[in-house]
Amino acid sequence: MISPRWFGLLVLLLCLAADAGAQPLRVQGGSQTLQITTALPGQQPTPVVNTATTLRFRRQSQIAKITVSTSCPGQRFSLRARAVSVQDGSPAPAVTLTHGMPAADLIRDIPSQPVNPPVRRATIEYTASSTFEQGNSTELGADSHTVTFTIVAQ
Amino acid sequence: MTNGSLFAVATTAAAILCCAPIASAQVYGGDTQTIGVQVAPITVVTVQGGAVALNITDADVVAGVDAMTVQDQNTRLVWGTNSSARKITAQTSLASPLFQLRLIAASPTRGTPGPEMLLGTAPQNLLLGIGRSLGSCTLRYTGTALASQGIGTDIHTITFTVTTQ
Repeated sequence: MISPRWFGLLVLLLCLAADAGAQPLRVQGGSQTLQITTALPGQQPTPVVNTATTLRFRRQSQIAKITVSTSCPGQRFSLRARAVSVQDGSPAPAVTLTHGMPAADLIRDIPSQPVNPPVRRATIEYTASSTFEQGNSTELGADSHTVTFTIVAQ
Repeated sequence: MTNGSLFAVATTAAAILCCAPIASAQVYGGDTQTIGVQVAPITVVTVQGGAVALNITDADVVAGVDAMTVQDQNTRLVWGTNSSARKITAQTSLASPLFQLRLIAASPTRGTPGPEMLLGTAPQNLLLGIGRSLGSCTLRYTGTALASQGIGTDIHTITFTVTTQ
């Protein structure tokens, strides 16, 4: 018969282990750099798209949504994000990522599922763009965004 | 309640608190990613409108005047540059033309036109102050021949260059 002391410890460890193995949201893909290098005559520089990032997330006990925000002091160029190939929930329109912005919806209406929710995935499509007036990174430096994804109750 | 029971209750409560969703903030979790955006120096310049032919004919002759001129402004120069302090120069490939060919940038959307130039093989300023801009201008060519020079044909290949001002 297990003692109350060991029972309590066991419950604590099981809960911590379960929590670590079932992270509500993870970003896969590592750091990415989008490089704008070309333009067509008479047009602004050609935007660059990157789809190398995947969000892994789980349903929660309530209907949830995933939001996105960024920190990029001294931001010079434009960056947008949207969720594509979303396995759960509804993708929101593309979000323009600007330094200091409030969190904006990226995926909405993720159904609730309190017990053993499977991992769901969505691809993040980043689009970087600039204008000739905004200059170039050789003269002005590059933008470095710390993009934060959060899953919250809707 | 024994010390062991108290310990069990405390650790169980801690476990429940650890596992419980943070209902008050309604935040379940999050993650971050670093995204860089780099923009290379980009410059494009192009001529729209195709080849230009300046034909001096009888209609351009004024009795008693040696010089005969004809003008064309059917072509446009379109540029874009994201570098600062830039200008556009123009030059011709024809080292020894029979006739004079002059050029000026008309109605630029950005920048300041240089003075009308007599085209030569050395680059001359067509448009100044076009750094970090997307713009266009009309190319106004003026061909001049003297009656005393007789007849002939000049073929120019004109090169426009965006360069540091």
